[in-house]
Amino acid sequence: MLGDVLLITDKHRKAADDIFNQLKTIIKPKMIIAISGESGSGKSELSHCLARLMNKSGIRTKEMHIDNYYRIDPLIRTEWRTKNGIENVVGYDEYDWKTIYRNISEFKNGKEAIMPCVDLVTEQIDKQITNFEKIDAIIIDGLYALKTEGVDFGVFIELTYHETKKAQSSRGKEPDNPYRWAVLEQEHKMVAALKSSAKMFVGMDYATRLAE
Amino acid sequence: MLNEIFPIEEKHRKAARAISEKIIENYKDKYIVTISGEVGCGKVAVAHVIAKLLRKGGICSKILKMDNYYKIPPKERIKWRKEHGIESVGYNEYDWETINKNIEEFKKGENAILPNVDLINGQVDKLHTNFKDINILIIDGLYSLKIDNVDFKVFVELTHRETVEMQLFTENEVLDEFRMKILEREHEVVMLLKPLADFYIDFDTSMEIFHL
Repeated sequence: MLGDVLLITDKHRKAADDIFNQLKTIIKPKMIIAISGESGSGKSELSHCLARLMNKSGIRTKEMHIDNYYRIDPLIRTEWRTKNGIENVVGYDEYDWKTIYRNISEFKNGKEAIMPCVDLVTEQIDKQITNFEKIDAIIIDGLYALKTEGVDFGVFIELTYHETKKAQSSRGKEPDNPYRWAVLEQEHKMVAALKSSAKMFVGMDYATRLAE
Repeated sequence: MLNEIFPIEEKHRKAARAISEKIIENYKDKYIVTISGEVGCGKVAVAHVIAKLLRKGGICSKILKMDNYYKIPPKERIKWRKEHGIESVGYNEYDWETINKNIEEFKKGENAILPNVDLINGQVDKLHTNFKDINILIIDGLYSLKIDNVDFKVFVELTHRETVEMQLFTENEVLDEFRMKILEREHEVVMLLKPLADFYIDFDTSMEIFHL
């Protein structure tokens, strides 16, 4: 993703530290980590901090943002969702899982991969060519990242869109309107179903805990 | 450039508004703007806000970051600089052939492959982009003042270094003596280029005295 503006604070660094301490105990080659959470919950910030920690300790890590894999272009997404009905189309199937799994398999096999890369400034989709040969781990971050098959370590951020309302508007990422709220409500319902597959949780106050 | 972190403040927005007004006054399709300034001066944030403002006004601009074009990749750069001495630091470290090629592709509205550094793992990816619908190219980089056939050249004065922006370049680059020497050397080189700019931003002075 190009042109994304992250607001990293100490709470993200602290949570990333906790997650990394757990991860270290189960590290393995070509590891897949997933971070799920609702829009505005801090997924990108958390995965950025975690990826930094991992690279610092010599585990070469690449982030994979699921939002690059929307099947419908950013410029026409709102129109498309409105036309088809938010409750019918907002969900897993909005993403191009075929390409996600192809890229994951390229990572696993240490190959060169062509991945979609959204430029948030131009709102166009570029293609990113990356070589996974020397990459030891990927962090998949996205609303439904935990749904990905083959995840070794899943993290779920429990903040809901109600709590992150403020963060959303200050980032000016997406317009604050009834359409947007309806999308967030639908996503809220969908993502709750993925919670059970997480190994670690980041709570409302950004404190972490292990799954029971 | 992937995983770049930069805080956006009101001063950046103000400067960006002033610059985008100037751009719109003289705008023609396939217009080129450069934004120069030392590491940590805030040029990254200014470039981002300009692009966003222009986008709102229906002009699509792509940001091209010169730090993607270093001949020596991030992980090997410190060692290379130490071996070649401080005099090696400067615009000859950049791959001007590729920079000029990509600019030419923008001018012609063609498909292009650009280098794209992932600042988290230090790897150089490639970015495949289409310049067809891009109206303005905003080039951000210390030595962007050296580029020929630019329509509008901006220079951002260094007031205080933004530590966050500095950390970007630094997986291993701590603020040691060698790093300070590099910053000094870059300062010397850029001071010689500074008179080439058309417009100067100084966050310490009021906006009224911005001038061409």
